[in-house]
Amino acid sequence: MSDIRKARALVISGDGINCENETAQAFRVAGFETDIRHINDLMSEHLSTDQLSSTYQAVGLPGGFSFGDDLSSGKIFALKLLYGLKWDFGMFAERGGVVIGICNGFQAMIRMGVFGKTVSITQNESGKFINTWVKLTPSPSKCVWLKGIGTLELPIRHGEGRILFSSSSQKETLIKMEQKGMLCLRYDGNPNGSSERLAGICDPTGRIFGLMPHPEAFLRWTAHPEWTTHPSRAGSPGQGLTLFENALKEVMGSK
Amino acid sequence: MFIRVEVAIQPEWVDPQAQAFLRKTELALPEIRKLIRWARVLDVTNIQIDAPREQLIPSLVQLFWDPVLSWLFTGDLAPGASGNKGSMVDLFEAAPFRSGCFWGIERRLRPGITDNVARSTLEAFEIMLGRKLSHGQISSGSLVVIEGPKLTEEHLSAIASQVICNDLIETWTLWTMDELRRNDRFHPDQIKWQLPKSPSRWDDRVETFDLDALKIEELVNLSQKRLWALQEPEMKAIREYFHTAQQTKNRAEKGLGIATDVEMEMLAQTWSEHCKHKLFNAKIQYRETGDWEGKGGDIPEEVDRLFKQTISGTTQKIKRPWLLSVFSDNAGIVKFDDEHSVCIKVETHNSPSALDPYGGALTGIVGVNRDILGCGRGARPIFNTDVFCVATPDYSGPIPDRLLHPRRILEGVRRGVEHGGNKSGIPTVNGALVFDDRYLGKPLIYCGTGGILPLMIQGEPSHEKKILPGDLIYMVGGRIGKDGIHGATVSSLAMDAQMPGSVVQLGDPITQKRMSDFLIEARDQGLYRTLTDNGAGGLSSSVGEMALISGGARMDVSLAPTKVPGLKPFELAVSESQERMTVAVPPENQKQFEALALARSVEATVIGEFDKSGFLEVQFKGKTVAYMSLEFLHGGVPQIEMKAKWSGPLIQVKSQNEDFRTQAPEVWLKMMARPNIASKEWLIRQYDHEVQASSVIKPVHVVGSGTANVRSGPNDAAVVRPKNDTWLGLAVGCGIQPRYSDFDPYVMAQASVDEAVRNVLCVGAEYGKDEHVFSLIDNFCWPDPQEDPIKAGALVRACYGMRDAALALQTPLISGKDSMKNDYRGKLNGKPHTISVPPTLLMTAMARVADIRMTRSSDVKAEGDRLYLLGPCEFGLLGSELEVSRRELGKPCFSQRDLRLPHANWKVARQVYSWIGGAIGEKQPLLRSAHDVSEGGLLVALAECLMARGFGARIELPRIAEEDLWAFCFGEGFHSFVVSASLENYRELEEEWMTLKLPFHPLGSAQAFSAGNEGKIDIKWSQGQCTQSTLALWNAWNKTEYWE
Repeated sequence: MSDIRKARALVISGDGINCENETAQAFRVAGFETDIRHINDLMSEHLSTDQLSSTYQAVGLPGGFSFGDDLSSGKIFALKLLYGLKWDFGMFAERGGVVIGICNGFQAMIRMGVFGKTVSITQNESGKFINTWVKLTPSPSKCVWLKGIGTLELPIRHGEGRILFSSSSQKETLIKMEQKGMLCLRYDGNPNGSSERLAGICDPTGRIFGLMPHPEAFLRWTAHPEWTTHPSRAGSPGQGLTLFENALKEVMGSK
Repeated sequence: MFIRVEVAIQPEWVDPQAQAFLRKTELALPEIRKLIRWARVLDVTNIQIDAPREQLIPSLVQLFWDPVLSWLFTGDLAPGASGNKGSMVDLFEAAPFRSGCFWGIERRLRPGITDNVARSTLEAFEIMLGRKLSHGQISSGSLVVIEGPKLTEEHLSAIASQVICNDLIETWTLWTMDELRRNDRFHPDQIKWQLPKSPSRWDDRVETFDLDALKIEELVNLSQKRLWALQEPEMKAIREYFHTAQQTKNRAEKGLGIATDVEMEMLAQTWSEHCKHKLFNAKIQYRETGDWEGKGGDIPEEVDRLFKQTISGTTQKIKRPWLLSVFSDNAGIVKFDDEHSVCIKVETHNSPSALDPYGGALTGIVGVNRDILGCGRGARPIFNTDVFCVATPDYSGPIPDRLLHPRRILEGVRRGVEHGGNKSGIPTVNGALVFDDRYLGKPLIYCGTGGILPLMIQGEPSHEKKILPGDLIYMVGGRIGKDGIHGATVSSLAMDAQMPGSVVQLGDPITQKRMSDFLIEARDQGLYRTLTDNGAGGLSSSVGEMALISGGARMDVSLAPTKVPGLKPFELAVSESQERMTVAVPPENQKQFEALALARSVEATVIGEFDKSGFLEVQFKGKTVAYMSLEFLHGGVPQIEMKAKWSGPLIQVKSQNEDFRTQAPEVWLKMMARPNIASKEWLIRQYDHEVQASSVIKPVHVVGSGTANVRSGPNDAAVVRPKNDTWLGLAVGCGIQPRYSDFDPYVMAQASVDEAVRNVLCVGAEYGKDEHVFSLIDNFCWPDPQEDPIKAGALVRACYGMRDAALALQTPLISGKDSMKNDYRGKLNGKPHTISVPPTLLMTAMARVADIRMTRSSDVKAEGDRLYLLGPCEFGLLGSELEVSRRELGKPCFSQRDLRLPHANWKVARQVYSWIGGAIGEKQPLLRSAHDVSEGGLLVALAECLMARGFGARIELPRIAEEDLWAFCFGEGFHSFVVSASLENYRELEEEWMTLKLPFHPLGSAQAFSAGNEGKIDIKWSQGQCTQSTLALWNAWNKTEYWE
């Protein structure tokens, strides 16, 4: 055993984020030691990417309604991350870290440009907020969070989940991202009108991952809308937990 | 520099806002919709920020421009971010019509109305520019661009005022095609005009009133003119108070003479029906006349305080060790386990929602959330419930002055919940939609919230509020504005043409979320002593109430931060502006408390301190403007006297037999599609009901989730798991049966209690032992009982009905609220017109679940499962959906006998409920599903259990059904459930029921369908049979296009 230290995860809160507790719970159940930190505290401490890497192996940007989705979802939170924290997630990943953005956290990552400048996310085609469970299938990709996962079911709860690519360069962008293994998670149907039925995207290293569905909302089987059909499984863990367990394996392996 | 930004979605993308606009126009103005060929919606922001151009323009582009999605029109500030021509012309050219005919309708908020987007936008500029922009001014709005050659200005103004704007909070401007094309609107002078204007100075005027000099009529007139809603005896009592020599001397020491407007406003708010519940504390003479079923119960002829006799007195009689705080705090608090307690409050927000349904519902939700935040020493909200009573969306009758069409009400409250609930991160887990066209006069908007708090905080019980003299008074969260002045008194008046728009407010969920996160953090660090919410009556109420704990308080309202300058002292004292809490902080924690607030971007301002003077003293810039004895403020309101009578049913209904075999299948379909019964999934799915990851039983059950063939059915109540480290759960459900009010409000209240109780039992609540945590919350919404003894009689009967039911079931009431002036008094076509809502009682049940793994949904799980009707069949057709549907057509109700009201049989019910609740017997885990028989009766309940799986069933009705097939199959009432058990172990269940002598009837078994052979539900009785297809029933119930 080369390293018996526990892996540590940082979950960011504040400004209208509201899934920090269940996201932290997901990391904890998977085996991380987890801190929930308010973004203002991280800013006033001037926590650099170096310090981040030396303290934490995983970062979670949880769901919620940062700044009320005003001026588009995740937009102002993204600016706060860019201007206030100035973190380089790429460097964090290079040093063995993993990052997940869920729902509003994913929207903020897109607005930060983590997945390139030609991808965006906007209002559902229906124009409506939707809370429903979806079936998802990971596409072959480098995403470390989805390793070994077949189809899975998770809830979506968003008004702005429609992933779009710049119309002038859509074809080339998609081919490029496909080749780099970035288009990693797709809906079985298409609940929001996303291009390519995309539900989640990762960076070319596969370590930085964002998705609209909520894996942290399916840690126990009794969260599933049809669990009462199979009451014998009521005590089992949910499928969402696997993502966080994958993250733990990944960071423990690369330590 | 001044900037105007218009953000347009690039033409190749669908514009969901425009689609929504077209849908709404289609519903509201179908004829005009036909004239619109194309539409886009642009977001508009007007900005004034002192910063150099070279800093501001890049920030502007970074903030507003999404290169993938949008174009920015700014005049000529950001050419790279716009289309080819850099102006609206680009959009015109992209429209599918060459040389089209375009119009623009620009919507903006009225001055003083909370502008959340503007607040966020300013914060974004502060982040990018790296400094505070305290003088920055921003306003947000939208611009709807419409194409249609046949559209006229009249059409457009109809669209503007009936689809786009609510005139109370928004205004609009029409732009012609030529104006849109030109760039004049980007000129600084034009922008300046659109920015919020600030009145220039403080307004420290205090008015005084020489009450002694006024005659009785003049006193009453004064109260009316000022919207105080104080009645004659109250005005007299106040005059008497100011008259007494002792007070005069006290007042002289403070530099005060006759009554000030601050004092009068404080009294009016504190003594409002909304705050003091004067009618529930009235002395009532109750009389019964005529001859009717149920006459001569044990309701006394003189009732001294309905609240004491039927509500708090009821709970006192049912002593339970887990009752921690009832009827004394912002919410009722009960013990959950050895570490935590849970609390619940349900509020109504009817008057504001009638004027502006969006703002009304939004502030209703964030308001009741604050009741939870301010409960005990502060609780964390864990679920919301929403019940809306409105007229039917397809209402086609006339709309009296100032009232809104029910479709707009429904759309507004839906959006209010979406913004208030979803953005706060609190799951909306339970609710109901109730339709009756009398709710056109005033929609009833019930918002409830549950919370959790540690039993002990810093070594002291968390459910007790403590304040010491010397503790500082902090106002935390939002600022005070002109909005929400007179909310408490106006909600104590009927809706009429004079109702001021100032009562309308828009909530700001993000400011509240920040405050809420901050307060929980401060609580856990022990930084404050206690807190309460700033709701109705503003600071005067919150500080006034808290002052009772220490024995007095002094505050200077000029210290409180405001949204706009120029507020008068009385406005500062009584404004209800949202997102504020009042907190008592020990002086030694001042620094830490303020530092944490600063670190969480929350404003916290010390405005005074608590003392033990026996007075509430209000100052403005050091000068005393109010000095009120706490004893008089809280205890001086005279008791109201009221006459009440009940003379039997208010309407007479006829019956006529129809052939059940031939008619029932069609009636069944019609019942499934009744708005009160049909699926509410369209609405539920727009609410976040799963955030916090605590969901166990959801509002609907589904089969095939995530597939194209997904189907659903209703669940009875919600179950959440408030804590991760225990399998304990919490069930919450409701009961509401206003249709019985026309026949007997006593039965109405009993049915409401019974339905709430059955709903939570269905999902798995514990019931039947003293230690089982099972509590009820009552919310009365009444037409004015003071103006009509019958309405007062209805109130008395409902209260006693509720009391008798709660006592019979031994379920304590822990919290409640009433709203007593739910009438419309206005004009229709120039003539006086009155609409009173039906007396409506919402009962909410919150009960503990021993183990979430044993909870139940209502769907029948597998082929062959045996179906039962469990419980005494206390059904009647009077007041049922079937009877109401026939009455709407002006036709007699189908029945083989005389119509009757259902009646409770509490003795048997308690046995059945104790079994389901786990207090007696042991075979409950064998129940595979449970669903209560309620709206629509037995056949509707059966369909609801079967349709998600498309199951059919062979049902054999028991012999007793044949006394009246209509009443048995479509009657509604008390105590019964449709339950199911598997083929393997149904016998064990039946044996236990027989041993325990629980009434039950086997109904038959569920049948799966094979390919090409849809499920059919066959109903058989000794004389015949009929059948209906499950798919047809589901389709009728699903009814999506009706709603949207």
